[in-house]
Amino acid sequence: MVAMKTTLQRIAVVVLFLVATTPLIAIAQQETPPAPAAPRSTTLPKPVERTLKNGLRVIVIERTVDHGGMPLISAQLLVKNGGEVDPPEMAGLANMTAALLTKGTQTRTAPQIAEAIEALGGSINSGGRWDSSVAGVGVISSKTPQAMEILADVVRNPSFKDEEIERLRQQTLDQLRVAMRSPGQLARFVASRVVFGDTPYGHLLTGTPESISRIKRDDIVRLHTTYYRPDNAILIIGGDIKADDAFKLAERLFGDWNNPATPLPAFKASGAELLSKIKPRVLVIDKPDAGQAAVILTRPALQRTDPDYFRALVTNSVLSGFSGRLNQEIRIKRGLSYGAASIMEVRRDVGPFTATAQTKNETGAEVAGLLMSELARLSSEPVADVELTPRKAVLIGGFGRSLETTGGLVSQVGALALYGLSLSEINNYINNVQGVSASDVQKFAGSRLGSKDASIVIVGDASKFLDKLRQQFPNVEVIRAADLDLNSANLRRAGSTEAGNQAVKP
Amino acid sequence: MRRFFIALLGLALLALYTFSAPVASAQTRVPRINFKERTLPNGMRVISAEDHSSPTVSINVWYHVGSKDDPEGRSGFAHLFEHIMFKSTRNMKSEMMDRLTEDVGGQNNAFTADDVTVYWEIIPSNYLETLLWAEADRLAGLNVNNENFLSERDVVKEEFRQSYMAPPYGKLNLLIDQKSFTTHPYRRPGIGNIDELNAASLENVRAFHETYYRPDNATLVVVGDFDQKQLDAWVDKYMARIPKPATPLPRVNVKEPERTKEARYTEYGPNVPLPAVAITYLAPSAASDDAFALTVADAILSGGTSSRLYQSLVYQKQLAQSANSFVDLREDLGLVQLRAILASGKKPDEAEAALLAEIKRLQSEPVSAAELEKAKNQLVADRLREIETNNGKAAAIGNAAVILGDANRVNTDLDRLQKISASDIQRVMRKYFSDTNRVVIYYLPESMRGGK
Repeated sequence: MVAMKTTLQRIAVVVLFLVATTPLIAIAQQETPPAPAAPRSTTLPKPVERTLKNGLRVIVIERTVDHGGMPLISAQLLVKNGGEVDPPEMAGLANMTAALLTKGTQTRTAPQIAEAIEALGGSINSGGRWDSSVAGVGVISSKTPQAMEILADVVRNPSFKDEEIERLRQQTLDQLRVAMRSPGQLARFVASRVVFGDTPYGHLLTGTPESISRIKRDDIVRLHTTYYRPDNAILIIGGDIKADDAFKLAERLFGDWNNPATPLPAFKASGAELLSKIKPRVLVIDKPDAGQAAVILTRPALQRTDPDYFRALVTNSVLSGFSGRLNQEIRIKRGLSYGAASIMEVRRDVGPFTATAQTKNETGAEVAGLLMSELARLSSEPVADVELTPRKAVLIGGFGRSLETTGGLVSQVGALALYGLSLSEINNYINNVQGVSASDVQKFAGSRLGSKDASIVIVGDASKFLDKLRQQFPNVEVIRAADLDLNSANLRRAGSTEAGNQAVKP
Repeated sequence: MRRFFIALLGLALLALYTFSAPVASAQTRVPRINFKERTLPNGMRVISAEDHSSPTVSINVWYHVGSKDDPEGRSGFAHLFEHIMFKSTRNMKSEMMDRLTEDVGGQNNAFTADDVTVYWEIIPSNYLETLLWAEADRLAGLNVNNENFLSERDVVKEEFRQSYMAPPYGKLNLLIDQKSFTTHPYRRPGIGNIDELNAASLENVRAFHETYYRPDNATLVVVGDFDQKQLDAWVDKYMARIPKPATPLPRVNVKEPERTKEARYTEYGPNVPLPAVAITYLAPSAASDDAFALTVADAILSGGTSSRLYQSLVYQKQLAQSANSFVDLREDLGLVQLRAILASGKKPDEAEAALLAEIKRLQSEPVSAAELEKAKNQLVADRLREIETNNGKAAAIGNAAVILGDANRVNTDLDRLQKISASDIQRVMRKYFSDTNRVVIYYLPESMRGGK
């Protein structure tokens, strides 16, 4: 059978910075800045793709040295499942499996893999994410075949040696020990449980000390056998390489990779329905030695393939970024934080919307109130066009910059391919953003991003902000850091009691 | 977020700019950056490189003033001042830089390092004239009110808490400079401290601007989609009209004395999960000839997971969860740092011994040809990634011009690094990594106080 070839439409592509020239704000001043000249256009790279007969989808984005590129390539092998398939008691399994790919194959030890790739001036990485597991290389383009051969070997032939599993287990445990001491990271771990409870995105991607300790070699091998297969994978190569050469290389290195006889487990989205049963919380993790309070507002948002995706992006941009509303109110106007921001994380199933800021412990409650009121304001009043236009420009400019490097290009294309979206969306991005109106933002915020379904998480020294927090939110729960259990949806270690109402101090 | 003060990161960045300057290895041609350089009558240096591969331009303004120039009793001031440069100027309201960049799809930020303060913008190329005007305007004069000043000072205090109080090893980053220098102002961490930030006033801002923000202390770098003639005309129009003050520019000329014996410190933190060990050696200036061999030695010690420190401490002995070296060379002099965060159950003296064993090995045995070649290949690839973007190119040019004193080094350092031999490495390892030139810091959990 001949491999299929799909070439994307060769659209003469869009202008990157063709943002309407914003009128400069009129203010009384001695001298006004010179107006901008006419914008200049650019073209975006066009990905081309083929599917090998074993089902492996291969995507190439050329940016050769002859066309202004650097002599570099980046390549990613994406497996279309990650932490969401971890069994509940084995949080961290997919991440551990992916991390072990580069720690030994049938013919190479971990040090040999590192030595081989680094001698080429390259690097190799692998890890688990939500919805995918990835192994990637970046290398000087003259060394592409050697680097790709190693990439294929680690994905196809990992040895999962016991010794390497133990080493990685100890390293992960130590990394978790460090992460749990950081108020910001701990707050993110807690927030994920608060939004997702026991559903597939609720646990820690890296696992907890308890779940990591439970994982056995058989579990790792089983996950690898089940999900690492060509009909569940995508190879993306970008940079200084001709498409034909890249396709030949892919065929040579992955063409004889066979699918197992068993079918791939089917995905069924269940997020929206399950999440609607999880009640919002206002939760304080009391950590008296915290040097600052980490404050998070979070709630469920939407899937990547949701028709409201671009409305969600633009809505988030009104809140986030240096001049977004959160940073305006919290940092620029009040000096309460080094920075406040929000992120709309979209996944195969419903992902979270999360707004964060760190502040001195004394002002933790004030920052929580501001995050909440700014979310509510999005649906209670329309965004003026003079505010909306620049916030769209931020998205468009940021998107353009993300495509400047070969690594960024490969990541953006990979994110589209992972969710089965048309790769031509790269070329439609600007129009999609420009098409979102002020009333779209208000409607989206009202119907899908309401503040009443939002939770608050604060990790910090509760004695400094708890009274003020209770004045704003009557139903505050407090869990002492020592009683926190990230393995359970209610987050409280079995047998521990509500902190803050107790006479006895820990 | 922007207006980062980048203590460690900034240093790492400078180290990278300075030293990863590599070379064509056998098969790889590192593209030359073709730049033009001129000096305006008012002393401003202007360096530009055309690149039309995307319709964007990057502007860098490098001021030759950094944390080492913090006034006495005002530790952290150069960095606080950097934040204030985004407030009102003669012709701009507060945050207008964001209107001119962020609001049209661009980006801006700044960082303060020991020797320099750098402001940058990436903008759609049709905004180049607008931003040259804006950079000229804030160089010509600030117009900040006390309310804006106080609120931004609070932001910097939150930055101090976020970067140094909240993270488990934040305080260790402060300790490195405090314990490594006895005399030179590099001993004062650039972020400052809450008391000295509280003491800073609007009058200090005015005086600092007058002293250091002048055209003969600035280097303008422009890289991207522009026409050289047009750029020259705009620079002449907006930058050349700023007068050069008659007063001399103060310069730090304090000399750090040589170390004469090993110094050891044990410090504790309330929120430290695992002990850490840091070792520093005084090293030469970033511009010195020995910087090349030290850079290659650094790549051999900790470039990637096949490096010696990772293989020994993390992989084989499993003493540490991370082990790294940093060539932290600055304008006047520098440090080479070794750091390890321990694995659970391991003792700091075991990690120290393992770090020192790797130093000794580099001193006593020449590195193999293959290991040398690997280090150089890594440095070439780092360099290529660094100059993939206009802003990366601008930063590399600015560093060469201001820290190394010669913009041309952005291209020529590659060849010099290529020539480093195994015996060069052995020589610098013996010269700088002596027992008497060593400071050792143990950073331990509070619970270990009292010898536990």
